[in-house]
Amino acid sequence: MIEFRQVDKYYGNFHVLQNINLTISEGEVVVIIGPSGSGKSTLLRCINHLEKISSGELIVDNINVHDRKTNLNVLRQEIGMVFQHFNLYPHMTVLENITLAPMKVRKIAREEAQKTARYYLEKVGLAHKADAYPNELSGGQQQRVAIARGLTMQPKIMLFDEPTSALDPEMIGEVLEVMKSLAREGMTMVVVTHEMGFAKEVADRVVFMDHGQVVEESEPKAFFESPKEERARSFLSRLLNH
Amino acid sequence: MLQNILDIWSKYNGEYVSGLITTLQISVISLIASLLLGTVIAIFCISPFRMLVIIGRAYVEFIRNTPLLIQIFFFYFGLSSLDIQLSSFVAGTLGLTVYTAAFIAEAIRAGINSIPKGQMEAARASGLTYIQAMRYVVLPQAFKIVIPPLGNQFINLVKNSSLLGVIAGMDLMYHADIISTNTFKTFETYILVGVFYLTITVPLSILVNWLERRLKRA
Repeated sequence: MIEFRQVDKYYGNFHVLQNINLTISEGEVVVIIGPSGSGKSTLLRCINHLEKISSGELIVDNINVHDRKTNLNVLRQEIGMVFQHFNLYPHMTVLENITLAPMKVRKIAREEAQKTARYYLEKVGLAHKADAYPNELSGGQQQRVAIARGLTMQPKIMLFDEPTSALDPEMIGEVLEVMKSLAREGMTMVVVTHEMGFAKEVADRVVFMDHGQVVEESEPKAFFESPKEERARSFLSRLLNH
Repeated sequence: MLQNILDIWSKYNGEYVSGLITTLQISVISLIASLLLGTVIAIFCISPFRMLVIIGRAYVEFIRNTPLLIQIFFFYFGLSSLDIQLSSFVAGTLGLTVYTAAFIAEAIRAGINSIPKGQMEAARASGLTYIQAMRYVVLPQAFKIVIPPLGNQFINLVKNSSLLGVIAGMDLMYHADIISTNTFKTFETYILVGVFYLTITVPLSILVNWLERRLKRA
């Protein structure tokens, strides 16, 4: 579904992603962890071309993302994205936020789009907030709306860029619950997060990154119990001892 | 003095009203044209194309750093030396539009830039094109922010239109100059013309404040 082949990326002289080789199959839940500045978010943002790669190949849903001839808007319809700061449109109601892309990109009729939107709002437990504006919602509710917004496009892949990092602690659980149920239903998910509990419970695979490199890739149980690499061990011990 | 003002008014009310109408016409035409031109220049300035950015920036910097009077002279006298003779009305309105557009472009550019980058990213990530993302997500939000500075520019535009008087623009200021030469009652004549400008700018100012308050609530 997603394949990085010898991908490198530079910001000027800074080597953000170094020789990334990574394959993610359909239905897989992959959690990317690592210290801040390790390139996790950049890696994620390359998948839907919010960031450009400098060299190598990146194939998503059989499309070469960084080929000049690729129609990005077609590719992006199939990839939902959830951001750290939700990025809901503040001038639109929840329902308008969710139906904008289905109506304008997929050209679905308003009634049909609203029906789908309400279905996914129900799923994230916010059916009663359809007509609210984002600033009337809590952070956790906004993030659940953002997830519903992504799902209403019925994408093949969902990307999560630190979806709980901007939330108050008491709201993290409700967002993770929605993500867990999504994972159980077989959605292909790539999640950048610091929530180790989530990684342990639902990830099929954990990818540990440091200094722009994929340092270790393994099943969550193996990774958390006996990490192979020294850098992963020291990262985990720093997490546990604070 | 009040008597003098009333005398001038009763003798020259026709000139004042006709000047007011011309000033209003110039202002409205210039307002619409400079809003369109200013928006285009603003989009040039934020576009991903280097060439357009350079053109947009050059326009803004050149125009807002030269006096409006010189620009009006350029369109009126300057072009006539190239055998393009514009009427004072057209030349004046053109100069005013070109000048105001530079300030409007700056206001709009600042408004668009103040919208968090995440808004454009979320819109693009969902598959919207750049133009769709601008139209449905960024511009509606920028518009609210831009209303107060745009209002200020429109008020400035009305006041700046008084410069057309020097090229016989038939506007309020032009008539006032003639009346003061005829009556020698300079002070009273210009007091009255000031009141006429206020009849345009005060309602405009109230409208802008009202819009600003309304948009804040929405």
